[in-house]
Amino acid sequence: MKRLAMTLAAFLASTAAYAADPGVTDTEIRIGDVNIMTGPAAFVGKGFSLGSKIAAGLINSKGGVNGRKITVITEDDGYIPARSFQALTKLIEVDEIFALNGTSGTANVMAMMPLIEENNIPTVVSQAPAAIVYNPVRPSVFTFGASYSDAFYAQLKYIHEKNPSKDAVFGIIRQDDDFGKEVEAGYDRAVKEFGVKDGIRLRFKKGTTNFSAEAAQMKEAGVTVLANGGIFAGAGNILGEARKLDLQLQPAEVWSEGIPASAKLLAPAGYDFMVADYVSLTGPANDKFMEMAKQFVTADELKDVSRYTYASFIGLTSLAAAMEKCGQDLTRECTIDNLRKLKDFDTLGLSAPVSFDNPEQHSGTAVGVYQYNIKDGKFEERAGFQQY
Amino acid sequence: MDFLLLLISTGLVTGAAYGLVAMGFAIIYKSTGVVNFAQGEIVMLVAYIGFSVANTFHLSFFPLLIVMIPISMLLGLALERIFIRPMLGEPIFAIVMVTVGLAVILRGVTIMIWGSEPYNFDAGISTTVVKVGGIPFYPAQLYLIAALAVVTLLAWLFLRFTRMGISMRAVAANETAALLVGVSVSRIHAMAWMLSSAIAAVAGLLIAANFKLAPDLWFQGLKSFPAVILGGLDSVVGAALGGIIIGLIENLSQGYIGQGMREISGFIVIIVVLMVRPYGLFGNREIERI
Repeated sequence: MKRLAMTLAAFLASTAAYAADPGVTDTEIRIGDVNIMTGPAAFVGKGFSLGSKIAAGLINSKGGVNGRKITVITEDDGYIPARSFQALTKLIEVDEIFALNGTSGTANVMAMMPLIEENNIPTVVSQAPAAIVYNPVRPSVFTFGASYSDAFYAQLKYIHEKNPSKDAVFGIIRQDDDFGKEVEAGYDRAVKEFGVKDGIRLRFKKGTTNFSAEAAQMKEAGVTVLANGGIFAGAGNILGEARKLDLQLQPAEVWSEGIPASAKLLAPAGYDFMVADYVSLTGPANDKFMEMAKQFVTADELKDVSRYTYASFIGLTSLAAAMEKCGQDLTRECTIDNLRKLKDFDTLGLSAPVSFDNPEQHSGTAVGVYQYNIKDGKFEERAGFQQY
Repeated sequence: MDFLLLLISTGLVTGAAYGLVAMGFAIIYKSTGVVNFAQGEIVMLVAYIGFSVANTFHLSFFPLLIVMIPISMLLGLALERIFIRPMLGEPIFAIVMVTVGLAVILRGVTIMIWGSEPYNFDAGISTTVVKVGGIPFYPAQLYLIAALAVVTLLAWLFLRFTRMGISMRAVAANETAALLVGVSVSRIHAMAWMLSSAIAAVAGLLIAANFKLAPDLWFQGLKSFPAVILGGLDSVVGAALGGIIIGLIENLSQGYIGQGMREISGFIVIIVVLMVRPYGLFGNREIERI
């Protein structure tokens, strides 16, 4: 009996997995990723999942997290909140993940939130930095990224300071939803602080493709600075109609337009539009990242690298940094505790350093401003990362 | 006044897009009694095929159209043979459900082949703004309006004066009687799908050229539904006119009432039409089910 007890104790001591939470063995840590892999927004998810893959590759090439290799398990939610919930259920019950990095859109994160909280899953949200995610704060949830409000304020501030014309007329067009409200909050703050003319505020339903009437309304209002809350093809269609009416505009765009594919959609309109983002869109850090990424993804996959790739890369590397500090006794509680203590974590220059040591457990709120140069088809930095 | 003219001109463009898609709905309904809920998806699919053809062979618009119309007709024929023909004799509801399933399949296949990334699709049409009576248009917008006029005229001539067109009307009027006088109903059904797909080719290329090529292009089918209800589900020419009316209503309501009214005004029209005149402006009074 004594011999049996000793054997059992030795076995338990030699297998850390028995002491740890799900998703951890002596050799592996399983990280979940619920993302948009199908449907019209799949190119966002592809870029995002690529960031997790590159981060895992980089970490594993250096020996993993205290000798444990990271495995990323991706589940598709098609950008449908109900499917996000199902996907996370599968990741928890079948794959037994330890932590979560990919979290899809805002509504999707919120659909998953009860499961995240119930299972106390260390989660880094870097694709949906909306206030609703970090306010109220959830103990195991850490949010990386700035608000749309700050992103638009930053751009409008740059435009106003660069060319403070008395004749400037500001205008906004935005989706009729929570995302659009955030865009308008930044616009609202800007027009009030700068005392500029607030020409027109337009709203549209998600999925709208034809913006001809809105362009006519903008022309009627004499808009010269536009906060464009359209995304992807919609943003391009808005600028296309504006160009047809010969509107002399300085457009400010959502950060999704920093994706090369989106920028191409906007380019035919001929406006050197602006984008503000909490990850770097151009510069030496991005060049170095691309060089490094070549080791871990195929040339085909490399084409899908976008701002979402940088965001998820930062999410997983910061998660790994917290796990690393737990040593061999890796638990969810310890990881959460270390995420809470994370301060000035270096993101290879892809964003401002990450610090979750604040009451909201929210970092990456510094925003950089970029302008798309139509002639070269490239973004140029206009203002470095700043808090707004 | 300029503002009103702008709204009307762009309303005509939108309406032309709706009209073309709505005509596709009406042709199939008129001949088969089935509302093809995959019509928007067929428009999307042929637009993507046209995109690949244009990129591969570097065709300008008219050669591209000449190539795409027969391709689309073959596609329509194939879809009819694979999905609809086996359902012959089954309840209308079951066939409609097949078109719903077909719609989902086509959406998935399109993303599988071309991916989910949106594209600019110039379709070989210049993007230089031209002015007509002082009102600016993109050439693709003018092509859209012209295409609706030409297709409507051709459809009217076809249905009124050709043997096949008269046969289609006969099948629509009384399928059993048409069979008794030797009309091949199955051939008429296939022809309806082919013609509807031919119109979808025109619509798909021009809608994508005007509003980008993206996987949500299928949504134009849903957006065009008010037009076909207004015009009358079994009236091909009425569907075209319904498209123009809905386009104008949407743009004027957005311009003068604003705040997203355009997105709901078309559907408000559907509700009103269904309450007051359920068979539409030009439809047959006998329509009782969809």
